[in-house]
Amino acid sequence: MTMRNSLPGLRNTLLIARRQLGAIRQDGYAAFGLALVIALGLIAVLGARHHEANEAEQRARYQDMVDRQWREQPERHPHRVIHYGFLVFREQAPLEFFDSGVSDYAGTSLFLEGHRQNTANFGEARHSTGMSRFGRLTPASVLALLLPLLVVVAGFAAVSSEREGGTLGFLLTQGATPAQILAGKVLATGAVGVLASVPVALAVVVIAEPELGSPASGARLGALAAIYGIYLTGWVLLTVLVSALRTSSRSALGQLLALWVVICVATPRIAASIAETLYPLPSRAELTAQVEQALNQVGDSHRPEDPFFLALRDEYLERYQVEDVEDLPVNWRGVVSREAEAVTTRVLEDHRQELAEEHSRQNRVMAWSGFLSPYLAARDLSMGLAGSGPEATEAFLAQAEAHRYAIIQRLNELHIHEIRMENDRAQRLPREHWGEFPVFQTEQPHLGTVLANRPASLAALLLWIGVPMTGLGWVRRRLARIGRDRPS
Amino acid sequence: MSAWGRLLALDLRRLTRSAGTAAAILLLLALGIYGAWRAGQNVEAARSSLAAAEAAYDDQLDYLLSVYPPTTEVGEVLYYVAFPAPQPPLPVSSLASGRAAVETESLRIRLLSLEGQLYEHETVNPRLAAAGSLDLAFLLVALLPLFIIAVCYDLVSGEREGGTWNLVRLFAPPRRLLAAKLASRAVLVGAVASAVVAAAWLMAGIGFDGRAGWIFALIALHTVFWFTLCLAVASGHRSSTANAMILAGIWVLLTILAPAALSLGNAVLHPVPEALELTVQQRQGYHEAWDLPPSETMESFYRDYPEWSDETVPEDVFTWSWYYAMNHRGDQAARDASRAYRDALRQRDTWARRWSLFLPPLAAQLALDRLARTDIAAQLDYQEAVRRFHERLQDHFFPHFFAATPLSAIAWGDVPTFEPAAPGDGATRAAVPAAIALFLASGLALAVGTRRAATATR
Repeated sequence: MTMRNSLPGLRNTLLIARRQLGAIRQDGYAAFGLALVIALGLIAVLGARHHEANEAEQRARYQDMVDRQWREQPERHPHRVIHYGFLVFREQAPLEFFDSGVSDYAGTSLFLEGHRQNTANFGEARHSTGMSRFGRLTPASVLALLLPLLVVVAGFAAVSSEREGGTLGFLLTQGATPAQILAGKVLATGAVGVLASVPVALAVVVIAEPELGSPASGARLGALAAIYGIYLTGWVLLTVLVSALRTSSRSALGQLLALWVVICVATPRIAASIAETLYPLPSRAELTAQVEQALNQVGDSHRPEDPFFLALRDEYLERYQVEDVEDLPVNWRGVVSREAEAVTTRVLEDHRQELAEEHSRQNRVMAWSGFLSPYLAARDLSMGLAGSGPEATEAFLAQAEAHRYAIIQRLNELHIHEIRMENDRAQRLPREHWGEFPVFQTEQPHLGTVLANRPASLAALLLWIGVPMTGLGWVRRRLARIGRDRPS
Repeated sequence: MSAWGRLLALDLRRLTRSAGTAAAILLLLALGIYGAWRAGQNVEAARSSLAAAEAAYDDQLDYLLSVYPPTTEVGEVLYYVAFPAPQPPLPVSSLASGRAAVETESLRIRLLSLEGQLYEHETVNPRLAAAGSLDLAFLLVALLPLFIIAVCYDLVSGEREGGTWNLVRLFAPPRRLLAAKLASRAVLVGAVASAVVAAAWLMAGIGFDGRAGWIFALIALHTVFWFTLCLAVASGHRSSTANAMILAGIWVLLTILAPAALSLGNAVLHPVPEALELTVQQRQGYHEAWDLPPSETMESFYRDYPEWSDETVPEDVFTWSWYYAMNHRGDQAARDASRAYRDALRQRDTWARRWSLFLPPLAAQLALDRLARTDIAAQLDYQEAVRRFHERLQDHFFPHFFAATPLSAIAWGDVPTFEPAAPGDGATRAAVPAAIALFLASGLALAVGTRRAATATR
């Protein structure tokens, strides 16, 4: 096609798009849906933002309080401080208000202490009533769940109504090619989707902007826009395709609604349930019992007559060529405590990582299900980009554990070198020591990591526009014939 | 066969001949049977979790008794002993899993500060929990209405648009026709729902008690509500596509949007900073005590346990009575925050329950969760039972701490065991408002529907 010919082609396409937009405007349902999506989108942005800001303020306040309490500890024995431990609160990602992802189901506060790995407690889900079966209202849920419905309502009759009204043949004989008709319908239907998402997107940018000064955050917003753009384009193409394939608007609508239910409502739950069946998790009670048994095998630092520690003692006596642990140049009790922590931590970490691996096996089932449900693929990418995906939760737990181990072992070193073994328990370290410990900081997963973790979701999303695109190419050649060959 | 029966059979045949309807029926049945099987698995899992807690206690005790000399003070060993507090699972819990994915009802409690142990949760994968569960309640409260909409939206408009309305009107009066069409659809939907319920009943091993009865009654009422709603919309003069859009819109609004918005509202209106507060207070209350003279800790301990105020602990030697009293001090320090925390959760629960009455699917859902003991109230009841258990353990062991009883003198068989929370509390009471709300909503929709049908079928 030459440039000269493509200009009237473009004009035809735009004419058809305008005609379709006129039809949509006349149809009250699409206009109502548009208003509803915009209103809900704005409510979601403001409400979710308010909620997240409130949460962030609370956590920051308590984290400050806990940090201060740590620094202001009186003179204490380091082993006392090991049990005093450290309390950390999970910091939210700046975009968590946009997509809360899995964060409602991840714990908020985690108590770090010696010899134990506690669970992160008090996720929002623990405080939610059963009414959050479809999650809390977030901008992401409006875009991923609701906007496709609006697209369906705006576009289900795009081609089928022309066929029903007999105007399809008229358009074709007037010189519009099937490709131009389909392109026009896609443009008009897509315009409604864009119209609905622009206010929400603007609100997100305006609200997120003060905290998103860095280019990295800008890249996240850009990537989010691209993901939702692709996802919604897929819905637009699918809607026009189904409309072009069906002889009646009624059956086009029925099929599209059924597809929406299967993709957005049923498949995510079916996938989650299958993942759970394929890779069942041990219950908390079973897991703690396993950990306990494994710990009993390796020894107990509070019981120095344990075989593991007897062997360790012999090794130290030989290394320093002394007869008794009291003659060691280091505090033997501190050594026991340090080695015990190392052994215990190995056991605890084995179990924690085993559970994390089981989680990621389950998550892989969810990722592959993205090929059946582009909603899952889009949400997977969306939560990852917003910083509320499973890797953010896992990273928090791993970083907190690393912090726990570092702090405990540092306290054990103080015990070994600053406390004499004689009359061990009665000694105290001055409070200056406590100020030297680092505070906990969460590091969010990087954008590149987030995307690299999700090849299946990215591929699924590309397929999601590829398939209806191919379908439209096929329909283009048969547009005039559909519904004529056989009555339905 | 009567004319009525023939009409019904004819319509049923017409309905099931459609490929879409057949596919939907098969999908619902398949999901129903799968859901029922999963429910059975969940009951099994809950039982094995309970058994694991009991077995772990026995193993741990055996291990400790084998490695500690019999002269060891019992206080030292009790540091390690985790007493099982398993709530026996209710089979109906698997029908409406509610918050069951995140909660554990099989805690193991040590004699240390309770507030540091009470809020552990299940080994949940957040990614799966966020996707939602596929239980019977979801199937029958969320998906079944879509099927009802699919078979009812063109009740009148379908005939009108197909040009058959004037023809069928020759055979029967319009209102009777409409009733017959509704009846055949009710038979179909009822058969699918009953099959799903029967599968769940068999596979999850649910007994037929009042609780199960209420669950089935609520599901039935909720199903009736959607039929009346479909009648109210479909009996009008609008086209089939308009009806489909309106009914799908109402479904989305009632089932997804309004609950999600209410959920957000609940989180915004009722924040729970007390969760973090109680954690901080408990830790501070316990650990501060190490830097205080023992008598100070004991004084606050005696405030809760005046019966032991005659006992004294030495100021300069470590005693286990002091150690556990310090732990109790942690609970004392967190007491206000803990109470405020529970109040905040109850407030959220009450608020949700009140607003749910305006949204039939949500009313049914929350009532089902309550009946299935998978809601906030059930979790708070369980925590209350664990609190009582912890107190009874303290009552049992403190005399031994004061007397410095050696391990050999403890009769482990006499140690108090967990008394589960009574499952009956208020569950049926909560179902009544939901049932009334569903009944009223159905009545309202039916009144609108019959009135419109009278004019529209003319």
